[in-house]
Amino acid sequence: MKTQMTKSTRQEARVGQERYLDPFDVSLFWKPFRENTRQRYDVLPFHADYPELLRSCEVLAYLIRSYTVWEMTCGALGHPGGSFSEAECLAVLFNYVLRFDPQDPEWPMRDVFYLSKCHAVPGLYTVLALFRYFPIQKLKFYGAWGSGLESHPDCLMTPGIEVSGGSLGQIPGVAVGRALGIRYNGPDHNDRIVYVLIGDGECNEGSVWEAFMAAGHWKLDNLVAIIDYNKVEAKGFLSQDMSIEPLVDKLKAFNFQVFEAQNGHDVAELVDIFNCIIAQRRGKPIALILNTIKGKKVRECQYNPNWHTSAPRDVEKAGIWLEELWEQDGRRLGIPKEFHLALKQAIEIVPPAHGNPDEIVERQA
Amino acid sequence: MAQFIIPKRDETKEMRYQMGYALADLAYEYDRIIAVDADLRSSSGLHIFEHFHPAKLVKVGIAEQNLIAVAAGLSQEGYIPFPCTFDAFSRRFMDQLYVTVAYSNLNVKVLGAYPGLFTGKAGATHQSDKELGLILRIPNLTVIEPGCNLEMAQALRSSVEKPGPFYFRIVRCEVEYNEIFEGYKFEIGKGVTVCDAGADVGLVCTGYMIKTAKIAAQKLAKKGIGVRVDHHPTLKPFDRDLLYDLAKRVSCIVTLENHCTSGGLFSLVAEALAAKGIGVPVGAIGTDPEDFIHTGHVNDLLYRYKMTSDDVVEKALDFLNQRSKV
Repeated sequence: MKTQMTKSTRQEARVGQERYLDPFDVSLFWKPFRENTRQRYDVLPFHADYPELLRSCEVLAYLIRSYTVWEMTCGALGHPGGSFSEAECLAVLFNYVLRFDPQDPEWPMRDVFYLSKCHAVPGLYTVLALFRYFPIQKLKFYGAWGSGLESHPDCLMTPGIEVSGGSLGQIPGVAVGRALGIRYNGPDHNDRIVYVLIGDGECNEGSVWEAFMAAGHWKLDNLVAIIDYNKVEAKGFLSQDMSIEPLVDKLKAFNFQVFEAQNGHDVAELVDIFNCIIAQRRGKPIALILNTIKGKKVRECQYNPNWHTSAPRDVEKAGIWLEELWEQDGRRLGIPKEFHLALKQAIEIVPPAHGNPDEIVERQA
Repeated sequence: MAQFIIPKRDETKEMRYQMGYALADLAYEYDRIIAVDADLRSSSGLHIFEHFHPAKLVKVGIAEQNLIAVAAGLSQEGYIPFPCTFDAFSRRFMDQLYVTVAYSNLNVKVLGAYPGLFTGKAGATHQSDKELGLILRIPNLTVIEPGCNLEMAQALRSSVEKPGPFYFRIVRCEVEYNEIFEGYKFEIGKGVTVCDAGADVGLVCTGYMIKTAKIAAQKLAKKGIGVRVDHHPTLKPFDRDLLYDLAKRVSCIVTLENHCTSGGLFSLVAEALAAKGIGVPVGAIGTDPEDFIHTGHVNDLLYRYKMTSDDVVEKALDFLNQRSKV
């Protein structure tokens, strides 16, 4: 059934296009920076591979956003704001920082990556698909019954997801327990690190600070808490609804070593910071504050709580988003224009599998 | 380091202390066992575990949400964590239990201390007689309320041997070593018939109330009434087969639980019987779902909520009298 769908998608892509381009053949313009994602490969700014690393991460961030638009539109579901603000961070983490093996997601020597702001999982699903945890075509069925891609992630269903979640504030504590467990297990040659990506609004939850208190107490320097500080929560702005400032001071007071990315969308800055984080561990848990913009790179989503929860409602809207992304990033990164057009052609809003004799209506979020 | 009195093993019958010993025993056998404490160790019995395994007790402070979250993380590194706090505080970590632990099917064994009425006069905030309403409806979770210390130790062992999330209700009052029969072996998901004297009345009990049920059975026997006592240490999954077998043989059933009479054992029994269209009258012994359980000596609480063996006898006789009138 899957192959059939791929074929039909291909045919659609041909319609109206002068040059055929399979939007799901990612290898045409991107491959993972590292051949072996089980190994770390340190690249400092003077290395010959540095420009290629930055380019590869930027292309990956562009692909994360583009496929996520396609995925959310097909699923009539999603959280674009958070998925776009975390795109560069996910790109650098998976392309450069984390050690993992998509062929063996349970590989015991892997670094652990938890997405604590689980609503932003469309972006994570995309990056997992790009690294071949599962076929990228599967993203189309995000949120469909039985697809294995839940609205909020289910670790028993989806490879690459470390723990199920969706209720905010819980996973920082899990990450602390995980980092503690790694330490109790004793030194290992991989010196594994636990990364947890936390939402800024999520930091309103008291349990986040329970976790931070424990991390500081236990001096877990194998824990990196990344805060996606995009300034916007579901229904408003942090500064107006419930501010988390002064964030740096708070984290320092909880005994964290604090790093701050002035621009969380600058892959060079992120690469440099992660180089520092890995090299300079000082017996304290690490916090990385990413100054980002919610909905980054899609004009109407940017800094707009209305696009926290919502997917484009039709192909036209998604097409506008895809084009905007291509104009900003795709063009300068040398992605052929046909890519975003073909991806738009490939949008097919997945209908429910069953009818509804009672005509119960629920509108898209 | 705080100094705690370690009660001698053969001098204490309190389940919480025996739990501390049983878990310590298991930790010698299974080196992945780790206990997690939220600043209640000398109340919950974990101080005994700490006495034997000081390096295997993780203290998270007064932070129940973090208690469960940290345990979840430890389980993902191959540990078998036993987070322990008061059963009442499950109200504070219910979401962590539901989402992080049960939804992810993690190998976490939660110990709820001080369930029901026995909290040493701690009052309404600490008494936990409503929590099973949700705990028994969490998928993947196994819920066990042992009735005696032998069973408690066997149940802990079973939970270590079976991966997945568990929830234990470890009562604070004294209980016997073995309330069931010589050679009893606990099995997850299995109820057990403790005594069967050609039955008019079926008593279905869980937890410490096996003792009350047995005393009530003796009192009824003196009046010439046959009683069968079924004990259900595993509340989830609930042993419906044993219940259906009982319902075939008796003219009325009384459930006994250290919990309110809604959402717990009585609800399980009523649901199971209704689902099969079995019309045996069922009476419930337990606290009132509409009440906060105020502070008082346990005798007064048991009197107020009619949870003594005399109340069980009265309830059973009421049913039998009604039947004879018809």
